Amino acid sequence: MRRNRAVNILFTFPCVFAFTMIILIPFFYGLFYSMTDWNGVSNDIHFVGFGNFRYLFSSPDFLYSFLITIAYTAINIVFVNVVSFMLSLIVTSKIRFKNFYRAGFFIPYLIGGIVLGYIWQFIFNNALVAIGDSLSIQSLQVSFLSRPGTVIWIMSAVNTWQYAGYIMLIYVASIQSIPASLMEAAAVDGANYITRVLHILIPMMANAFTISLFLTLTTSFKQFDMNLTLTNGGPATRFLGTPVKASQLLAMNIFSTATANRMAEAQAKAVVLFIALVVVSLIQVSINKKKEVEM
Amino acid sequence: MRRTVSRVVSLGLMLALIFTVASCSDAKKQSKDVELSMFQLKVEIKDAIDGYAAKYSEATPGVTLKVETLGGGGDYGGALKAKSQAGQMPDIFVIEGLGGYNIWKDYIADLSGEPWVKDTDLAMKVDGKVVGFPVAIEGYGLAYNADILAKAGIDPATLTTRAAYEKAFALLASKKAELGIDAPVSMAASVAGGMWWVAAQHNLACYWGGGLAFDDTSIIDKALKGELDQARFAQYAKYLQLLFKYADQNILLNGSYDDQVGAFAQGKTAFLHQGNWVDPNLKQLGVTFKIGYAPHAFLDTEEKGLYLFAPSWYCVNSKSPNAAAAKAFLTAMATTPDGHDYMVNKAGMIPAFKSVTLKPAGQLSQALMAANAKGGNYGVFFGMLPDGAGQNVFGPIFDLFAQNQKNIDRFIDDMNKAVAGLPKM
Repeated sequence: MRRNRAVNILFTFPCVFAFTMIILIPFFYGLFYSMTDWNGVSNDIHFVGFGNFRYLFSSPDFLYSFLITIAYTAINIVFVNVVSFMLSLIVTSKIRFKNFYRAGFFIPYLIGGIVLGYIWQFIFNNALVAIGDSLSIQSLQVSFLSRPGTVIWIMSAVNTWQYAGYIMLIYVASIQSIPASLMEAAAVDGANYITRVLHILIPMMANAFTISLFLTLTTSFKQFDMNLTLTNGGPATRFLGTPVKASQLLAMNIFSTATANRMAEAQAKAVVLFIALVVVSLIQVSINKKKEVEM
Repeated sequence: MRRTVSRVVSLGLMLALIFTVASCSDAKKQSKDVELSMFQLKVEIKDAIDGYAAKYSEATPGVTLKVETLGGGGDYGGALKAKSQAGQMPDIFVIEGLGGYNIWKDYIADLSGEPWVKDTDLAMKVDGKVVGFPVAIEGYGLAYNADILAKAGIDPATLTTRAAYEKAFALLASKKAELGIDAPVSMAASVAGGMWWVAAQHNLACYWGGGLAFDDTSIIDKALKGELDQARFAQYAKYLQLLFKYADQNILLNGSYDDQVGAFAQGKTAFLHQGNWVDPNLKQLGVTFKIGYAPHAFLDTEEKGLYLFAPSWYCVNSKSPNAAAAKAFLTAMATTPDGHDYMVNKAGMIPAFKSVTLKPAGQLSQALMAANAKGGNYGVFFGMLPDGAGQNVFGPIFDLFAQNQKNIDRFIDDMNKAVAGLPKM
């Protein structure tokens, strides 16, 4: 073992080097800058302690973004996982063309979030409105994206359309790894399909749920590209008496703070996002781990 | 033994590779010629400025000018920061107002002694020092389709008060089918469409500068201390409400730039709330009708001026060894026939220099140039606001007002609160 140490160091060096340079060092720099008044250029940096953080939690737009991100994440976790679990049941059943369906459901995931956002924006803002106009359907004449109350749900629906195929693959792999004898034995004992799914399939798939929930949780929390192109944060709504952007998720809030040259403030927001993400993911994974079954 | 040898050899090879890669980036081209770099953000003039740069490099021995362009959807400010952090700060760069000046002031050279300074009113000045070369004049009023107004029997010259607009809009709205229009005005205010700047920046600029002397900043100075002029703002809010009421609601609430300009270009609206930068778009869309500018007359009293400003300024990097050559380039642009030809004919801009006699091709640009020659125009001061105030604070307020147009008191209230928060930003 000892003889290999030089080789180990040599082969891990590129990864460690890259990880240090692009993750570790920027991360600690970021922590430092979040406590300063840095504007992105000036070398004249003043330490302000937790001033930026205090300001954040008194500014309605950030609080709103924080809450709406939690809401979006919750909706998304349910939508994506329910839909992809259903899809995985369909494509592992005995229907014809199931490989075709597998590929079909997965394709939206291959379209980038930016492109996808623009496509769906066109559908909601132009196509649906045009249909509403020509058929005089009043509920379609105002774009769903310009209604503060529905916009989060629409974003979630689009995200589900994109992401369900990917999560489906994880579920499919997990379903296929369950020994067929278990399901057959249950069928022989007289369990119907729903009972088999509820009492055998789902408990056996617990580790797939852990990873899928973790993936949907973190990606929803960090959602940015589709947010930017589909809604751009709009429309406006009122929160704590102040007009804010109804669909501006945390990542986009950070982005627009940074592009307004408020670098230190944006960095402080990013630190808050990081902490929230770590806390929520740890809780989620530790709960899910308890439910996993050892084969 | 052999293993150790091969390990040593592979280690050596790897290190050699790392050092080659590292030293490659260090290698610098050694030449005695000055290589000027310019970084600018107007995508629409990219070909024109590249052409002029090539011509200038050819005509000026010892100087090669390279222009890099990033704009449109690109994050120019972010890219410039990255360049400065990487030690590749360009010799000439662009700022868009006082906010930009405050960020980059360590890098901005004093241009007070340059020959073009006395030829323009729009140079960027800070504390009496000239720090920026005006890229162009841009400006706006309420653009109108002269054919539609003539058909409806409205004389655009009478549109100088809010009451006159109210009458004209109502008349147009009553003749929609006859005139073939969807709505009188093509206006945008949606955060979603990325159009917050039309309402919350350009339209709001009417309140900051409308009806005042060209360099009168008293209203915005007051706002920066946290106060609105209530009587004046109430009149402004009524004008905005009027524009919203008669706007195409779909474009207003979620239209993009293309939707807004397209509707006007297709003759679906009689008015368009945009500046002369739409000239190339209108040309591209094959517009043949006659277009002019009416003033944004929001006051009870008469207003006849348009809003003129320099949207951005070129700054010279004071820390660069090439600063002198960069200054010479800007002087050439402002003072030589080639430079004038580039600004007007190639780039289609309205130069901010009085000695330029060429005329731009676009109808709106011509209207602005005529207004500029006539005088009596208003300044545009949104560049004095803190960074992010327009996009992140005023934008949602205007969007919300567009959604709830009847609730004008709420809008005034929101704006009062927002302006009161400006000093803390």
